[in-house]
Amino acid sequence: MTGFTAALWTEALKAARSRMPWLTALGFSLAPLMGGLFMLILKDPVRARRFGLVSAKAQITAGAADWPAYFALLAQAVAVGGLIVFALIAIWVFGHEYTDRTVIDLLALPTSRLAIVGAKFVVVASWCAVLMALVYALGLVVGAMVGLPGWSLALAVGSAGQLVATAGLTVVLITPFAWAASAGRGYLPPIGAVFLVLFLSQVIAALGWGAYFPWSVPALFSGVAGPGVRDLGLGSYLLVMLTGVVGVAGTLAWWWLADQP
Amino acid sequence: MDRAIVTSDLTKRYGNATAVDRLSLQVREGEIYGFLGLNGAGKTTTIRLLLGMIRPSEGSAWVFGVRVHPGALDLWSRVGYLAETPSAYPELTVRENLEVFRRLRRVGDPKAVEQAIERLGLGPHADRHAGTLSLGNRQRLGLARALLHEPALLILDEPVNGLDPAGIVEVRALLLELVHQRGVTVFMSSHLLSEVARIATRIGVIHQGRLIEEIDTEELERRRRRWLVVDTRNQRAAQSILEAAGFAVAAGEDGELVVTGERAVACPDEVARLLVERNVGLTRLSVEQEDLESYFLRLIGAARGGER
Repeated sequence: MTGFTAALWTEALKAARSRMPWLTALGFSLAPLMGGLFMLILKDPVRARRFGLVSAKAQITAGAADWPAYFALLAQAVAVGGLIVFALIAIWVFGHEYTDRTVIDLLALPTSRLAIVGAKFVVVASWCAVLMALVYALGLVVGAMVGLPGWSLALAVGSAGQLVATAGLTVVLITPFAWAASAGRGYLPPIGAVFLVLFLSQVIAALGWGAYFPWSVPALFSGVAGPGVRDLGLGSYLLVMLTGVVGVAGTLAWWWLADQP
Repeated sequence: MDRAIVTSDLTKRYGNATAVDRLSLQVREGEIYGFLGLNGAGKTTTIRLLLGMIRPSEGSAWVFGVRVHPGALDLWSRVGYLAETPSAYPELTVRENLEVFRRLRRVGDPKAVEQAIERLGLGPHADRHAGTLSLGNRQRLGLARALLHEPALLILDEPVNGLDPAGIVEVRALLLELVHQRGVTVFMSSHLLSEVARIATRIGVIHQGRLIEEIDTEELERRRRRWLVVDTRNQRAAQSILEAAGFAVAAGEDGELVVTGERAVACPDEVARLLVERNVGLTRLSVEQEDLESYFLRLIGAARGGER
């Protein structure tokens, strides 16, 4: 892919100069902060009763106020919230070229269009990885401040792996939204697609078919349906990979083959 | 002379609508080709076909002997272009916008950015965010981006859109300098014949997707209609005298006499002599020429007024 390094540099600059990194970091920081709040409530039953409904919700999702429960909560937040935040990143990275009408300037260059699309995907994945690291680091700080019991290095490493795997599955699944942002020439069509997918993933998971709907897989993997309910076979993971491949291939093909505005 | 651009039966259809219809044109290296048409005539579609942004339904386009396609990377390193609506990354400064394209255009010399800023007079705005620029300065930024890599061919879609009169003169001078001193070929679209005629060496007129005329600018001068305007103390008598002498005379909108035909334009002195000999006082005698916009409208069959 001719010009990939140049494309990567320019995509990184565009991302760094936008407000989106700060907004997504702010949005994603809510996960460890809210998780910490739940843990704080669970730790103090008197306060839990005072908070009523919030306490009940915390009981359902977290169970107990300790490090394993807190890490599990973070993984679930990454699975569900990550789909929204990561998708917004992909939609911005691809969609702003159409809303700013700058895509025209990228189409007849000595740098291949494929290099530009590839660089965009690398920036999206790196951006998501940084957010993931931020959530984990913030989670460690918040958990320590709350004073959760049950800490061990093995647990911390294992939970980090769980978070990375959940985020990795989610990142793979956002590639079709990059395609939708390109084909839809802006933000609204892919955002609509995100809402549709979120709705379908909830409904399909509730019906018990989540293992066969790729966008339900990260949530099931994170244990959102309960500690014992991670009955995902190889087929589910292959489905996720296939979705990712289709998203990348579709985006590349669109930039290469389709009539541009 | 080598050809910078050749199109052969280039056609683009969107459903039942034909945006460009069997367009065949040739642009010679080192010339300024003005591509003229009304809004919606097919100019921008043609330019996008030339840049490989859209695929032709039929026919083909060749630039510097290379068939246009998205992967013609070596070709694109010789072509600079400016889209109809100047765009830029609003959150990047002018300098950063140019730096982005210096890298994407694989220009090795980092000084190219400063040179482009200087050439287009963008110095005072270099560190401003592009999103805060006026339309005229965005257009300058677009031109700076198009020139960054010293291209051999410039494809410009309405390059003086949004520029003030001083900016238009500057851009005109810049394009002429590029052509005369560096041998750059320019293909520029416009809907203003008067603007194109000032610098173009050849003009192609597109209407409803079809190339209806291709003409050298010198020939354009010869094709424009000319006529003789006559005012006298006695218009009725003057008309009779001239008609008797075989001239075609009509009354103008403001009561003046309009004498048409080669003879009248070539020999206004004969008209003067005829009238003076018959004691008709002559108060005005002038050869007038069809203005460029009227010629253009006549050419595309859409003249709605001002045509004599």
